[in-house]
Amino acid sequence: MQTHKNILTQPIIDMQNVCIRYGVEPDVLSNINLTLEKGSFHFLTGKSGAGKTSLLSMMYLALKPSKGTVNVFGANIGYAGREEMAMMRRKIGVVFQDFRLLEHLSAYDNVAVPLRVRGMGENEIKKRVKELLTWVELDKSMDKICSTLSGGEKQRVAIARAVINRPEILLADEPTGNVDDDIAFKLMKLFVELNKLGTTVVIATHSTDIIARYNYPQIHLENKELKIIPALRRVRNVE
Amino acid sequence: MLNKLLHKHHSELPLKEDKANLFLEISTAISVFLFSIALAAYFMISTVIKTWNSNIIDGLTVQIMPSQQTISTDEEALRVGKVVHFFEGLDGVKKVVPVNEEKIKRLMAPWLGVNADIDALPIAKLIDVRLYDGKNFDFEKTADNLKEIAPYASIDNHGIWLKQLVKSATSLKTLSIFVLTMVLVASVFSIMYAVSTSLKVHQNIIEILHIMGATDAYIAKQYAKRGFIVGLMASFIGMFFSMLCLRVISHLSSGLETGLIGSARLDGLHWFLLLCLPFGVAVLSMLTSYLSVKHTLKEMM
Ligand SMILES: Nc1ncnc2c1ncn2[C@@H]1O[C@H](COP(=O)(O)OP(=O)(O)OP(=O)(O)O)[C@@H](O)[C@H]1O
Ligand SMILES: [Mg+2]
Repeated sequence: MQTHKNILTQPIIDMQNVCIRYGVEPDVLSNINLTLEKGSFHFLTGKSGAGKTSLLSMMYLALKPSKGTVNVFGANIGYAGREEMAMMRRKIGVVFQDFRLLEHLSAYDNVAVPLRVRGMGENEIKKRVKELLTWVELDKSMDKICSTLSGGEKQRVAIARAVINRPEILLADEPTGNVDDDIAFKLMKLFVELNKLGTTVVIATHSTDIIARYNYPQIHLENKELKIIPALRRVRNVE
Repeated sequence: MLNKLLHKHHSELPLKEDKANLFLEISTAISVFLFSIALAAYFMISTVIKTWNSNIIDGLTVQIMPSQQTISTDEEALRVGKVVHFFEGLDGVKKVVPVNEEKIKRLMAPWLGVNADIDALPIAKLIDVRLYDGKNFDFEKTADNLKEIAPYASIDNHGIWLKQLVKSATSLKTLSIFVLTMVLVASVFSIMYAVSTSLKVHQNIIEILHIMGATDAYIAKQYAKRGFIVGLMASFIGMFFSMLCLRVISHLSSGLETGLIGSARLDGLHWFLLLCLPFGVAVLSMLTSYLSVKHTLKEMM
């Protein structure tokens, strides 16, 4: 085990002078500096098109910065090898805005993917997946093919898939957009619980309701820039 | 059983429904068909060459035909002596022995009958020439040279045309190796093509798997499994038709089963190797799929 001090002080995600650009288009984000401590919880906000999804995809290692350095788990993702990237990704849970489920597979098989890619035995997988799907109230739809599920059901499958591995980093892009309020708060409770167990959480959301209800700092994107709105000030502003 | 093997490990990629599968099955079946025919041809030709080569003995016989006009015994002895001398001066000749007349008569007796007056018959003189190495002895040149100094002598030319047959059979053998190689290269390329097409089709799923922490090897294994199964099934189809073809050929040629062609047979080992072919192809298809997926993924993302 690492020493406790190290875990607490080392940033789990660190971005220095990062630019994101697609092809020859102008920068989506310019000169971003962001340091996330291990065990932190942030909301990610900004207007549609502000670059929330782009920033998250850099954190889950699907996008490399066009400029600047990004360190995740202390490793520069610009220099990480393919094998190393795969090992890092196993410690990151992702909920995509558009779910990105494997539509031809059942809810069960989708949630099992992160466990299967690390070679876990089927018995252990069965136990964990059933438990989690029951918790998100999908035990009845476990064997349904994903393309036949409703939007809210898909979202819960996507969230189950993201947390099944007990990830060190959880990145969720609009995770409560398609579910009823009570389920939305239940899912938020799940994220909060995971955070208490040490998971670093970033949740992109438009929901002022959710932001107001939880006292967490906010990463706000506007005009290609990034601004951290601390928790307390924000709460005061809301009031 | 194959299905069980496929489903034992969960494949996230719906490779079973790939459109490329049919292309791959057909092209592999054709490749296996051609490959097994060429391989059977190779085996048969090898056997034939072996038989023929063992028929080229380390020796030859020179015949001196009895002359039309009566010639003196001295003249006759001179003729024999000239031939003996010619061979004694040649490289690669171990021993030159004129076969004595008594022996010839004894050899001929069974054909002529006991009552025949052998002495009255004009009998060819035979000279037995022993060689160190019949396979590398140039029968043709020797025959030509001999004709110049002793036109009345002739070499029993069994070895000459047998050697020519061996020569052309050897080039057939080379041709079959060439065909085998071409078929092999073609099928490796079609597997690589099918794999890269499939990777593009499933790019979205592959990206998701990568983000979930799948290694390239994890994805490549799913292709390897599919490659093995497709390879095995296609090989059995290809083998079925090539075996049918070989049966028909051997049936048609059974009328020709005389000495030379008759030795063009497949023995037990050859059949065994041919029947191993589907598994060899399945393994090849598996490895090719695996390696080309790993290679392509490295370039992709
Ligand atoms: N793959 C891509 N190729 C080209 N441009 C892209 C791509 N993805 C995003 N963009 C552009 O980058 C900008 C930021 O997009 P992004 O999806 O990050 O915004 P967002 O904040 O997530 O928006 P939303 O709230 O609507 O999800 C947009 O202008 C978008 O057009
Ligand atoms: Mg977005």
